[in-house]
Amino acid sequence: MLIRILKSSFLKRPKPVLLVLLSIVMGSAVATAFLGISGELSHKMALELRSYGANIVLEPAAGEAGSLKSDDLPKIKTIFWKHNIVGFAPYLFGQVDFGSAAGRQRGVVAGTWFGRPLQVPGEPDSIQGVKVTAPWWELDGRWPETPDEAVIGAALAKRLKVAPGSDITAAAAGKSRTFHIVGVASTGGFEEEQLFAPLAEVQTLLNKPGQLSRVLVSALTVPMDDFGRKNPSRMTREEYEKWYCTAYVTSVAKGVEEVMGGSRAKPIWQIASAEGALLKKLESLMLLLTVLALFSAACAVSSSLMAAMAKRSPEIALMKTMGADRFQIAAIFLGETLVISLLGGLLGYLAGDRLAVVISRTVFDSTVTSPLWLFPTAIGAALVVALAGSAAPLKRALAVEPVRVLKG
Amino acid sequence: MAAAIIETSQLTRSYGDICALKPLDLCVPEGEWLTVMGHSGSGKSTLLNLLGGLDRPTGGSISVRGTDLATLSEDGLARFRRDCVGIIFQQHHLIPYLTALENVMMSQYFHSVPDEAEARHALERVGLGHRLKNRPGELSGGEQQRVCIARAIINSPRLLLGDEPTGNLDHKSTTMVMELLRDLRDEDRFSIVMVTHNQEVAAWGDRTIHMDDGCLVREERTKGC
Repeated sequence: MLIRILKSSFLKRPKPVLLVLLSIVMGSAVATAFLGISGELSHKMALELRSYGANIVLEPAAGEAGSLKSDDLPKIKTIFWKHNIVGFAPYLFGQVDFGSAAGRQRGVVAGTWFGRPLQVPGEPDSIQGVKVTAPWWELDGRWPETPDEAVIGAALAKRLKVAPGSDITAAAAGKSRTFHIVGVASTGGFEEEQLFAPLAEVQTLLNKPGQLSRVLVSALTVPMDDFGRKNPSRMTREEYEKWYCTAYVTSVAKGVEEVMGGSRAKPIWQIASAEGALLKKLESLMLLLTVLALFSAACAVSSSLMAAMAKRSPEIALMKTMGADRFQIAAIFLGETLVISLLGGLLGYLAGDRLAVVISRTVFDSTVTSPLWLFPTAIGAALVVALAGSAAPLKRALAVEPVRVLKG
Repeated sequence: MAAAIIETSQLTRSYGDICALKPLDLCVPEGEWLTVMGHSGSGKSTLLNLLGGLDRPTGGSISVRGTDLATLSEDGLARFRRDCVGIIFQQHHLIPYLTALENVMMSQYFHSVPDEAEARHALERVGLGHRLKNRPGELSGGEQQRVCIARAIINSPRLLLGDEPTGNLDHKSTTMVMELLRDLRDEDRFSIVMVTHNQEVAAWGDRTIHMDDGCLVREERTKGC
């Protein structure tokens, strides 16, 4: 009988049913779309934030055993979180005497990779170096392509009066090497006081073959939370596994440290914290927008049902007169709401999935696939919207007094 | 003398300062057809609402089949209505999107379990066996009222309450409805309390009470048809 009542109610009152359905579909669709792109959005934002620069620095560990070797560099792309490593750049720093048209001056030379192809067995080929880890550098000229080409920092270039096309000589420990300047780098930082030359050339010049001073690693990480801030050495086995398997900047750093013998990896906190805070705010914003969308939908459902309930008060009064108790009346109206919300959830999921694709294509120029868990989430969101929206109308329905409504 | 189905003692209903029903002592034996007459605002509908458990008294006591209605909760009153009472209104009050059969079955649904055969039988008893699938809008006023009667008797109530059930009907339909009520009462032996303005309708009952300004002012035995 309940099914007959519901069926007749839907078929004979299509307008209010469609209004409620539309509100639920919209709420569910927006929630599905926002939740669907939130993962993509976080990922894309994290990638964008990688242009802030590296967020992990590797240095030789303290003590005699501490060292960094360039032969170990490919191992960085073999760690547990290898797919989160966006790029890395090795550095070897040394004091040298620069010679140029302006005379001789003491300064720092940095050997590095600019954009070196890296092949690791079993992994896709990649390009590593400064180009990847420091995309914000403004280069007047171009990146070096041959062993005798170098990039000079803007401040040093000014001091030595060199420009792209000039030559500069670097001398140290009885050796000297002439580099042809192909670019002047403006970074706004200490890099402007350095000369950047190919790593192997600087290792030879400084007589430090295979050695490194520092490696800067740029990795995709998740925002730090209270658990991520715990000291891993004090964690239980289960906690440690959970920590290790979560892409905290600390756990990625730990992974890198493990493969780079004699090294010590540290997060660059000003970068990691800023990224974490930004991503957390972004997630909160998406969640807030989702909740607001659901709240708006619930308000729309509530007002539609309230209007429908006012029209149906004689029907409710009659049911009460026939002996319907509160549970039976609630069952009829919640049954209607349940059916509408299940249908609304399904349609909302389909619409939200399409909406997510459109947003993803328009904003990120990529395609997003809604995860399967979004389907029950959409249905759940529709149910929450419908139940929240029907609370006040149901209360009004239960308060209907047959004597007043059926009078005369 | 049959046992009383309705007993009221100093039954009162006030709305703020307005006393719609002044202290009333009333006894209705099982099987009696009581007619309540009076002008508008005399308190007759108030009395009917109290007897049907649709309203609560502000004073005195009201007992139907031994149940003190004043002590029942909202859900208790709902149970009382579905188990003991059938109500017929002047305005029919059928659910417009349900068929005649479904309107009757709805009363069964609230009472226990819908039984289509039983509902069909009830409509056949009121002469609407050929109108089962029609919606209220497709029925005449008299037919709609007969659906209401079928709906009111489907759960075998011991008390049938009618609030001017023939008020919207023409003479022919009124006679048909009254004959139907008489036949059903004779078969099922339920009691009837019916409010009406119509002297002819009142004549169908066993007893008539006249109300004015919330008071029972006169009582008379009628012949009964």
